[in-house]
Amino acid sequence: MDRFKLRKAEPQDVPDILRLIKELAKYEEMEDQVILTEKDLLEDGFGDHPFYHCVVAEVPSEQQNSNNNGSVVIGFAMYYFTYDPWIGKLLYLEDFFVMKEYRGFGIGSEILKLLSLTAVKTRCSSMHFIVAEGNQASIEFYKRRGAADLSLEEGWRLFKIDKSSLLKMSSGPEE
Amino acid sequence: MFNRWEDLCNVISLRPLLPAVGLPTPVLPTWCLILYFLDIFHNMDFSIRPATLEDCKDIARMLLELAEYEKVLDQIKVTQKDLEQDGFIKNPFFHGIVAEVPEEHRSKEGHTKVGYALYFYSYSSWKGRAVYMEDLYVMPEFRGKGIGKALMSKVAQLGLAAGCSLLNFSVLDWNKPSLDFYLSQGCSDITADMGYHCMRCEGDELEKLAQGGT
Repeated sequence: MDRFKLRKAEPQDVPDILRLIKELAKYEEMEDQVILTEKDLLEDGFGDHPFYHCVVAEVPSEQQNSNNNGSVVIGFAMYYFTYDPWIGKLLYLEDFFVMKEYRGFGIGSEILKLLSLTAVKTRCSSMHFIVAEGNQASIEFYKRRGAADLSLEEGWRLFKIDKSSLLKMSSGPEE
Repeated sequence: MFNRWEDLCNVISLRPLLPAVGLPTPVLPTWCLILYFLDIFHNMDFSIRPATLEDCKDIARMLLELAEYEKVLDQIKVTQKDLEQDGFIKNPFFHGIVAEVPEEHRSKEGHTKVGYALYFYSYSSWKGRAVYMEDLYVMPEFRGKGIGKALMSKVAQLGLAAGCSLLNFSVLDWNKPSLDFYLSQGCSDITADMGYHCMRCEGDELEKLAQGGT
């Protein structure tokens, strides 16, 4: 598998990106949580002020479902830039996935290398991401590459507020 | 508190009345003192507004106070200048809001900017546009007056206005007052509920990864 190519995602990749997002969510047993549509991805990633950036991995394909270049997208990474007022700019890795049948060929490692290079070039202090504690394969993959588990080592717990609670909260604090 | 008679008069707006009742300003009747105490313990006036370049000095001050509270003061690398450069450019890396009190309620050291929140827009591959609240802080002497809730409410409003359907943030597991506060606001601890761990690759490890090392 030495003929894969990594490149910046383009608007026409949106259907493949959504397909892979759903495959990753299925792997995490969260498929029903994905409510994002192709329209959202297009508007949010390829407008004037993108909310995210994306790289895709593609391989040549003879099959009918290949894209215009005669390739098929088999992996992706979605990321954006965040800020830690203690240390400055960070690169946040939101999603990172390679289709099962294309694993073990170094594609994931190359994607991570490209992202790290992007982080270093844009003067980010660090790259952050989250991993489910049950996903041992991924945890080992990241730890082998020097990642630290901040939840275990420093006690950070991630919180979320969903839309209904956000609406309640934004209508004013209770006195 | 009793040394600042001028403050007392300003707070309860009695200065214009005093000549009319024939009392010298340093001498005030008991009912004035009662009103003063009631005013102090009534909901303190405060305002929440977007941060400006000029606020970076106070944000840097409060950021250090928060870092000291979280016992990580030695990890701070960002300076007031970094905040100015990173938060007030054409495509800022973060946004800020500030909580301000009137002069008469200023802190013991004389500060009127008594709280802040830093946030930025992020993205969930499941839900779409999201907002991440990076810092939320209120100076200790101004807590318990609804300022923290108001700051968080403002971040929620701004996030919703930008089309976000999710607000995320992190809390240290030993920070019980904050954990209790957030859980009472309808937040979910997804590290506990879903087992999500925050991971980081930084410094030398990040450089090594960029060079293709495993």
